[in-house]
Amino acid sequence: MACVNPVPKLYRSIIEDVIEGVRDLFAEEGIEEHVLKDLKQLWETKILQSKAMEDFFRNNAHSPVFTLPLPNSLHQTLQSSTASLVIPAGRPLPSFTTAELGTSNCSASFNFPGYPIHVPAGVTLQTASGHLYKVNVPVMVTQTSGRASILHPIQQVFQQLGQPSIIQTSVPRLNPCSLHVTAEKSQRIETVLQQPTVLHSGMVDRKHLQNAASDTLALPGNEREIMSEALLSQPESPQYICLPGVVFPPQVSQIDEHREPVLGVSGGVTQNLNGVPLSTGRQGAQHQHMSDIQLHVLKNRMFGCDFVKQPRNTEEPSSLPVSEKDSNSQMDLSIQVTDDDINEIIQIDGTGDTSSNDEIGITREVDENEFLRIIDAGDLKVLEEEVDSISNEASTANSSDNEDPQTDIVEEDPLNSGDDVSEQDVPDLFDTDNVIVCQYDKIHRSKNKWKFYLKDGVMCFGGRDYVFAKAIGDAEW
Amino acid sequence: MAYQLYRNTTLGNSLQESLDELIQSQQITPQLALQVLRQFDKAINSALAQRVRNRVNFRGSLNTYRFCDNVWTFVLNDVEFREVTELIKVDKVKIVACDGKNTGSNTTE
Repeated sequence: MACVNPVPKLYRSIIEDVIEGVRDLFAEEGIEEHVLKDLKQLWETKILQSKAMEDFFRNNAHSPVFTLPLPNSLHQTLQSSTASLVIPAGRPLPSFTTAELGTSNCSASFNFPGYPIHVPAGVTLQTASGHLYKVNVPVMVTQTSGRASILHPIQQVFQQLGQPSIIQTSVPRLNPCSLHVTAEKSQRIETVLQQPTVLHSGMVDRKHLQNAASDTLALPGNEREIMSEALLSQPESPQYICLPGVVFPPQVSQIDEHREPVLGVSGGVTQNLNGVPLSTGRQGAQHQHMSDIQLHVLKNRMFGCDFVKQPRNTEEPSSLPVSEKDSNSQMDLSIQVTDDDINEIIQIDGTGDTSSNDEIGITREVDENEFLRIIDAGDLKVLEEEVDSISNEASTANSSDNEDPQTDIVEEDPLNSGDDVSEQDVPDLFDTDNVIVCQYDKIHRSKNKWKFYLKDGVMCFGGRDYVFAKAIGDAEW
Repeated sequence: MAYQLYRNTTLGNSLQESLDELIQSQQITPQLALQVLRQFDKAINSALAQRVRNRVNFRGSLNTYRFCDNVWTFVLNDVEFREVTELIKVDKVKIVACDGKNTGSNTTE
């Protein structure tokens, strides 16, 4: 396996360093060795799922094809190392499956030669019974004392591509232990891939939840992480996770803020890959829960939009029922409301009052007079200006454009909406998939020209990782 | 004490997730997990300093910059990263950089 990319090797060395470094710590705590091994395997698996597989695939353009006859006892070996068998759910997986394996169309079969066989990543193993397993990492298959076993140093990752009902336990069944490794055609892979994923348009299908792989291959926590990754990362593409039997339709991923309930149910689904249906009560509740969530989300969004659309007014009770109607009726009602306000204002001002100003001056106290006159002047000025501006606007839907508070409100929205734009950008601005974590030697600025002298960095672009010892950059602000 | 900066990388996040799983299954204690993370900080800081040798150049437009607690945070748009072997283009990238002059302790990203 030719790895031009230094990242996988570097990561492995870091993992080794850390594991060795904490070995004593674990011993001091009295924790067993297998826990440390589990930690290492979990860690490696997650790394491989996330981005390293891209490197492996990239370096294995053509996957050789061969058949390995393996004895029955092989599955026992696999079973003993449950933590090492994980069904990946990384998002690039389906695309690589079709792309990489589609490049070659060769297939071959041979008997187990007796010496260790290195199965490179990217090949698809197919049992004689027709089950397809895709090897995501290089696997060494050896035959010792008459039976084949799989070496542990290399992490084995199998992905089952079809017929999940056949899987009884966490171990892919290899009876009669003849693996036919093929580099499938892309079409064939797609058809196989689509087998477990038939049901995903619409709500989460009960059957798939029943067949969900919370199996012994992956710890439940793993699955939660996998699911959350999938939900967050696959909003609409048809490339969903190929957990055996577990498929999340695009609709589910839209409810990302409510993913907890989904995960809670799925994580609790025990392994049942035989196709025996679980109690449907849970799934039914989940369906209802999810539909409730969807309705709730939609309602919230509707309310939110409506509140934004409404012109500002002080009549809170009227705004609530208004929000449930369409925008036109909202505007009409709000016009009525603002009319009342206008009238009130005018009445307070005395402009709409039939009585003369003298009467106002006489009948009211002096203080009020001054106050009201101040209001009068100010309001009149504002109202005049707004009337002028409104008359220039052609887009208002209101017939009574001379309604001053309403023009007031219409005028304010464009003015203030500009102020909000920058605030909204900030939380989203720093939220990106492409992150560089590094140290800076020097940051230089000259007017609006910036120069960056960075070092010891790890870059992550869309899931792919890169490292650098030094990075020099220029940017203009 | 090494920077905890690198915990928010693929490597660091996957380690934290793995440790969380072990904590949830009560195979290790949270304190032990913290110590593992500290060991990770040391390992990755020294690995990056000693085992990585490549250089990268980049160019783009600066959208925002922030300097707080001796940490620079930039957001660049339309950036091209050039390495000897390849060219990478991204429309948006966030750079978080700690002071490289002295490796003091840093609890932020």
